Amino acid sequence: MTALLSIQAVTKVFGGLTAVDNVDLDIAERSITSLIGPNGAGKTTLFNCLTGLHRPETGEILFDGRSLIGLRPDEITARGVARTYQNIRLFGRMTALENVLVGQHLRLHASHWSAILRSARQQAEERAARTFALELLAFVGLESHAEVVSTNLPYGEQRLLEVARALGSRPSLLLLDEPAAGMNPSETDRMMELVHRLRDEMGITIFLIEHDMKVVMSVSETVAVLDYGEKIAEGTPEEVRANARVVEAYLGPEVVLQDTADTPNL
Amino acid sequence: MLPILANGAFRNGLIVFAFLGYLILIGIPGRLGGSALPILALVAALFFWVRLRRDLSDIEGSFLRTGGATGKPGWRIGEPGHTSPQEAGTPLPGREGTLAIRKGLLAGITTGLLIAVVSFAFASAIGSGTSIQPVLDKVVPVNVAALIGVSPGQISNDEVPPLRYLLQVLFFTAAGLIAALAAVAARVHGLQTTAVARLSTYLDSQLFRKAARFAGILLPFLLLAFIAWLGIPGVTAFGSNEGTVRLLLTLIATGSGLFALRLAHPGREQKTVALLLALGVLTLPFILDQFQNSVMGLVFIFVMMGLGLNIVVGYAGLLDLGYVAFFAIGAYTYAFLSAPFSSPYISDLLTFLGISPANPLLGYWTALPVAMLTAAIGGILLGIPVLRLRGDYLAIVTLGFGEIIRLFMLNLGELTNGPRGILEISQPGLFGLAPQSFSSGLLSSQGWIFLVALVSSAVVAFVAIRLNDSRLGRAWFAMQEDEDVAEATGVHLVRTKLLAFAIGATFAGMAGQLYASRQINIFPENFSLFVSIDALALIIVGGIGSPAGIVLGALALKGLPEVLRGVDEYRIVAFAALLVIMMIVRPAGILPSARRRIQVSSTEDQISTPGEEDLDEEELDEVTGRRAQAASANREAARGQEGP
Repeated sequence: MTALLSIQAVTKVFGGLTAVDNVDLDIAERSITSLIGPNGAGKTTLFNCLTGLHRPETGEILFDGRSLIGLRPDEITARGVARTYQNIRLFGRMTALENVLVGQHLRLHASHWSAILRSARQQAEERAARTFALELLAFVGLESHAEVVSTNLPYGEQRLLEVARALGSRPSLLLLDEPAAGMNPSETDRMMELVHRLRDEMGITIFLIEHDMKVVMSVSETVAVLDYGEKIAEGTPEEVRANARVVEAYLGPEVVLQDTADTPNL
Repeated sequence: MLPILANGAFRNGLIVFAFLGYLILIGIPGRLGGSALPILALVAALFFWVRLRRDLSDIEGSFLRTGGATGKPGWRIGEPGHTSPQEAGTPLPGREGTLAIRKGLLAGITTGLLIAVVSFAFASAIGSGTSIQPVLDKVVPVNVAALIGVSPGQISNDEVPPLRYLLQVLFFTAAGLIAALAAVAARVHGLQTTAVARLSTYLDSQLFRKAARFAGILLPFLLLAFIAWLGIPGVTAFGSNEGTVRLLLTLIATGSGLFALRLAHPGREQKTVALLLALGVLTLPFILDQFQNSVMGLVFIFVMMGLGLNIVVGYAGLLDLGYVAFFAIGAYTYAFLSAPFSSPYISDLLTFLGISPANPLLGYWTALPVAMLTAAIGGILLGIPVLRLRGDYLAIVTLGFGEIIRLFMLNLGELTNGPRGILEISQPGLFGLAPQSFSSGLLSSQGWIFLVALVSSAVVAFVAIRLNDSRLGRAWFAMQEDEDVAEATGVHLVRTKLLAFAIGATFAGMAGQLYASRQINIFPENFSLFVSIDALALIIVGGIGSPAGIVLGALALKGLPEVLRGVDEYRIVAFAALLVIMMIVRPAGILPSARRRIQVSSTEDQISTPGEEDLDEEELDEVTGRRAQAASANREAARGQEGP
């Protein structure tokens, strides 16, 4: 398998703190990869480096063979990388449909003049955009909420809407930052199912940060572990679960003395 | 719950009191003469009616919403096993309700007394010739006296028996309040048999709502017809105040037209109303006189300003306090092109090039693209350095930019002729005709400016609405909601921001050009910070993000003060009072945009879906109506259970 995303020796420093320290990671096309680690391990910072919100000090990020370093966030989105956020960041006063339409911003090309004149092409484009937005909402299961203002949606559906908005830009790589955070078990199941469908039906490569080990272990094919900015392990869920450094990072050094199989959460 | 009534009544009283104070400050009663009291009483009664209906719905709503211990809302009457209101934990108003009504009455009467006492104090002060305060001396006493039906002439002749007028005021205030509160009491107690309750049921009925809607749509047309009738030579209805009253009516007619548009059902009805209204408003320049036309022209110049600023502030969320800069750029660009002889530098340059500076370089319409382009460039030049600034910082920098442009105009004496200004700017022509040749008969010169302003505003509004309803408009709004996420979602921030600045500036440039030709002579002091503040205030008062609201805002903030020209120095005080009242009564503006309504209601009430506070009158009626039905069903059910 070829690597769709290749992170090579990426380091991000905030003042004296090295948030991401020399991380290497390859993500294969059409794979589901999880990034885990204790709070403050630098997971979201790595995501921010990938999407152009932060610029890493050293290292290279290749997406589809081309460097993402130094590109603006919107340029990176144009290349086919979309993301969701740890603390939901929807456009609160816009409806669900409008949120997804903004997600399609890059894929629409009608000029402002044609918008003023309502040219046939612009109208056709808008209609197509609405249709596509409704399809995406249906895909995540929000088709009946298209006209609901997004702040009025329940928490779990707001997360789904964030996914739909990200899909609007027709990404080939989707970064999900804690998609199941704060969800109840049934919402979590719905989200996990959605992650699988994204990969299987839409062919999108998934890279996700998650704390819920049930999600991580059941959904991902590869798991990478960050601790204090460093990648301390990478492998299949089983390998990672058995890794002594991972257990140490999560539970502290004493626990390593015990049998790792007894640690309930991993 | 029930104390809402007391609070509500008290708040209503205070608001009416403040509003009366405002009217007195700006001198309305004096202008209305003897008819002041009935007119103001009517206004107050209307206001009370609207407010009371809302309070009422609050009360009934709270009955129905409270499911009590069973958790069953009172709505679910008729379902098997429903509980009567008593059982559901919400007793029908007994002692508590009576107490609340008593409190409300007390609050209302106290407020009425306050108004009466203050009026009386002023009136008697005039009667005895006492000077109250040098500043207030001139206007306030006369107006307060007029409020209770005393003319200045009577005062000087000592014909005022103050007690009679005091009683008159007391009677009106108390009667209104008691009637209104009685209606509430009747409703709350379920006294369906009383005449008052029957009246209030009637007001909630389908027929009445239909009639009200129809009347609302008809109102602007009736007013327009009345204005036209007043324009017939020989017809007088308001004596020496004729001109001002006609201006006031024009403002009201235009404003009520916008409400009529909202009342009309979308689709063919709305289109027809819009078309007829457009025709009606377009006849205004022909029937108004020079003064009224010049005011309306200014109002619509500010409509253009407001629509432009709305793109920057309302759509893109970039707080721009230096918007006057682009207005000035547009005005001066046209001034240079139209009156090159007024600028020493430009006339020298033209002479050097062998062109006579005595004639305009370009006419109004050919200069329009130039002025728009110059303003747009100004917008981009301001936009580039402030791209990274947000919120307060952006406001301060733009504020500075506005002042810089004014100071340039003031100090670049060679180019702008400094404080002596650019003189003899020409007016717009029509198909090569000079303005004088066609405007003398049918149209006054200011009427022509008003007509141009109307058409330009319509074009600007059209462009603004279409842009907002497109990919660009969505990007603007997304940027306003969350800049970082918008960028990560694919919005090119630099381009989107600069487009907002440039388009906003273009509209201001158009407005500036028309302003220059309206003024004929322009000076740097025409472009002070207050123009920016006026433009911002009018979109806030009207409703940020709502083009119709902006027109209303301009009518209220630029039109009304002109009606009250005589009391210029109170305008700022009056604005402050008006803004405060506005923000209490309609926090999202007079005609808020749908989105703004969502925002305000969600901060007011996190739980409920779009707040009832800000529903349209009609929607409100529906909600109230539904509740009234549910409430009476509730009561009947309760009675049925108690009965044999």
